[in-house]
Amino acid sequence: MKDNPYLFWGLAIILMLSATALFAPLISPFDPSSIDSQGLLMAPCARHPLGTDGLGRDLLSRMIYGARISLSVGIIAVGISILLGLILGSCAGFYGRIADALIMRFADIMLCFPTFFLILAVIAVVEPSIYNIMIVIGLTSWMGPARLIRGEILSLKEREFIQAERALGASDARIIIRHLVPNAVGPVLVNATLGIAGAILLESSLSFLGLGVQPPVPSWGNILIESKSTLGIAWWITVFPGLAILITILGFNFIAEGLKKIIG
Amino acid sequence: MSPLLEVKGLKVDFHLENRIVHAVEGVDLQVRRNETVVLAGESGSGKTITTLALTRILPAPARIVAGQVLLEGRDMLALEEKKLYSIRGGVIAYIFQEPASFLNPVLTIGEQIVEAVIWHQRLGRQEAQDQGRELLRQVRIAEADRVFNSFPHQLSGGMNQRAFIAMALACKPSLLIADEPTTSLDVTIEAEILKLLTELKEKVGFSLLFITHNLAIARKISQRIYVMYRGRVVENGLTEDIFKDPKHFHTRELIAAYHKIGKL
Amino acid sequence: MLNYIIKRFLGMIPVLFGVSIVSFAVISLAPGRFSSLDQAMNPKVSAQYQMRLNRAFNLDKPVHVRYFLWLKDLARLDLGRSFVDNRPVAAKILERVPVTVGINALSLLVVFLVAIPVGIRAATKEGGAFDTATAVFSFVMLSVPAFWLALLLMQLFCIHLGWLPISGLHSLDFDYFPPVRRFLDVAWHLILPVFVSSVAGLAVISRYMRSSILEALQQPYIYTALAKGLPQRTVLYKHALRNALLPIVTLAGLSIPGLLGGSVIFESIFALPGLGQLFFQAVMARDIPLIMAEVVLGALLTVAGNLIADISYACVDPRIRYK
Repeated sequence: MKDNPYLFWGLAIILMLSATALFAPLISPFDPSSIDSQGLLMAPCARHPLGTDGLGRDLLSRMIYGARISLSVGIIAVGISILLGLILGSCAGFYGRIADALIMRFADIMLCFPTFFLILAVIAVVEPSIYNIMIVIGLTSWMGPARLIRGEILSLKEREFIQAERALGASDARIIIRHLVPNAVGPVLVNATLGIAGAILLESSLSFLGLGVQPPVPSWGNILIESKSTLGIAWWITVFPGLAILITILGFNFIAEGLKKIIG
Repeated sequence: MSPLLEVKGLKVDFHLENRIVHAVEGVDLQVRRNETVVLAGESGSGKTITTLALTRILPAPARIVAGQVLLEGRDMLALEEKKLYSIRGGVIAYIFQEPASFLNPVLTIGEQIVEAVIWHQRLGRQEAQDQGRELLRQVRIAEADRVFNSFPHQLSGGMNQRAFIAMALACKPSLLIADEPTTSLDVTIEAEILKLLTELKEKVGFSLLFITHNLAIARKISQRIYVMYRGRVVENGLTEDIFKDPKHFHTRELIAAYHKIGKL
Repeated sequence: MLNYIIKRFLGMIPVLFGVSIVSFAVISLAPGRFSSLDQAMNPKVSAQYQMRLNRAFNLDKPVHVRYFLWLKDLARLDLGRSFVDNRPVAAKILERVPVTVGINALSLLVVFLVAIPVGIRAATKEGGAFDTATAVFSFVMLSVPAFWLALLLMQLFCIHLGWLPISGLHSLDFDYFPPVRRFLDVAWHLILPVFVSSVAGLAVISRYMRSSILEALQQPYIYTALAKGLPQRTVLYKHALRNALLPIVTLAGLSIPGLLGGSVIFESIFALPGLGQLFFQAVMARDIPLIMAEVVLGALLTVAGNLIADISYACVDPRIRYK
């Protein structure tokens, strides 16, 4: 840990953030949707450390609840993509031939779309909601993990001990779980961490465009919608949620960097 | 008469991330004019690093920590970098093991010869090109014009090595260092290249410091042998004496390997 | 070389076919069980909308027939009419192309002009102050949400300092300007959008260039160049750089999908009338024909980008060029 400052700081940031998200009701000074009758767009002060928004809601409280959204979207979306990638990648790698050709071609085709376009198109036809965002991001980002896992399997298949085990009649599933998992866990973890950072960035962009998490549920992205109309009036609305996103993504990128160092 | 090259107590360290490796630990070596000397030893014994240190073209983590390299009496290790430019290629030239990777893949053979000619002899491009083609003919390349305009990947290993020799001899060096120049080639090509080198040596006149682990070659071409083992010269003497009465066990190993190959 | 290009073109056919199926499938999620929200709120609008969908997509026919009818229209570049203003989709898209292509080409230019020298310098002074500074900059820029960066810069340069215009492509009285002033006016409006859309590329490509140079400097042919007595400068700029630039050439083509995605965000923030803004408006209005056309166009541009990347690589690398 000492000789890996990236991992240390990354984990520190993300653990703190996770604690914040987990204990949001205990930590946050106000209910995220309660309105302070004393003032709209109040600058940071003792009562509201990060100020209030255009409806007089406490920004800090909204951001604390927003952490829940960002983290859960990031983690679940990536969970979906890794799961898909694991299934498709290991089918392609293990069964080869037709399965491999079909799955990898499909991945190639999916990679031909600008992800953001694809996501927006889907959002246009299903309604934007936090769950749909998670699913759509997951469905459009499995290609990387799938390629990675396929590659791991292909290189593993060549190794002698796997061929020996096959000859001894070990089942495919058993081989995948016993040997692939320990070998692939490092690269997949790096991929997943970067994926979470990417998903959080996507979610915030979508929410900022009004196509992600819908108000009144607070998300860092949708808090920032208001900053367009308060530019020059209420800097805190622009600065703090963006900083939160930046720090979170930095945290995940740090972890990824640290993990890369460990894997070597 | 003083020798062309005299190396005294040369030490080279590799500064790696967490430790220091002593690659060359006090090498003494002499090469006289028009002499062929073999530097023999297993891979990793420090032969290549020793020869790269002579003109200070070592890889980044390597540092020369002690010793003298006297070229015609001048200490190469005390010269400033710029003074070395005229010596590299001009006085000491190199040919390497795998011509395909030691030639620049994106430049034509001609360009790689010509740039050295222009730089050292301050010739115009046209003259330099004529000289380049002439050099290719000198190393017995029949289709000199075609080879001149070819990229390394378009030529065979033997052809590349010939071109490499032409490039090395472009500026009439006094010492040619050949670092396992035939190891990557098959046996018939190896014989041709060795023959070419000895002929050119007679015709052009230069000293040859030949690195190899193959004592069969050493016996064929050299007057004297230095045997290196783990960064030190463990034995040296006239080629015939060494074959008759090897002192160090590593020399005996190399000779044993030579006999084994002889039997095959 | 020609063979290589022909092969790459033929290889595109199945990919394009796949792209059309996926595009069609995405939108086919919609018709039929569309938009419960709208329906609940306004049954009349929704009924109208449904009728239009029926007409536009032959919803009375089975899926595969629908697909081929759509493909046939697509092949004839008949992209249908917009639900919003009933104008042909192709025309709506075409008038938006110059802005988006122009801005993205400009930011690519900025990225390469800046990132390549920066990467070279960082590599030659590896571990030095400049290298560290650019590493930190890249790391932060890869983590910063671009839309937020845009908001911050707007706040600083447009509102506090008042140096740059806040949005749009030109000033209100643009039409009365003489030509030189028009040019300057557009350039002035583009500074912020082009900068913001270059930031991520700068971060990625400067680092890529750095590691590419460092890798090239470790190649055997570098020792040959040094052994010939060539000066450091020649070794770096001729021998290392030429090889290091080869993979960089392909990055321009490969960055197209990212740039297109970014256009949606920047064009809406800076109110620029490009494809991204059009796409965003289409999504908000659920203008299905327009959305489909943009998705297909985005994929086509990406495929074209990949193709350009491959071919330009083949052009600069003699190992592929002469095979």
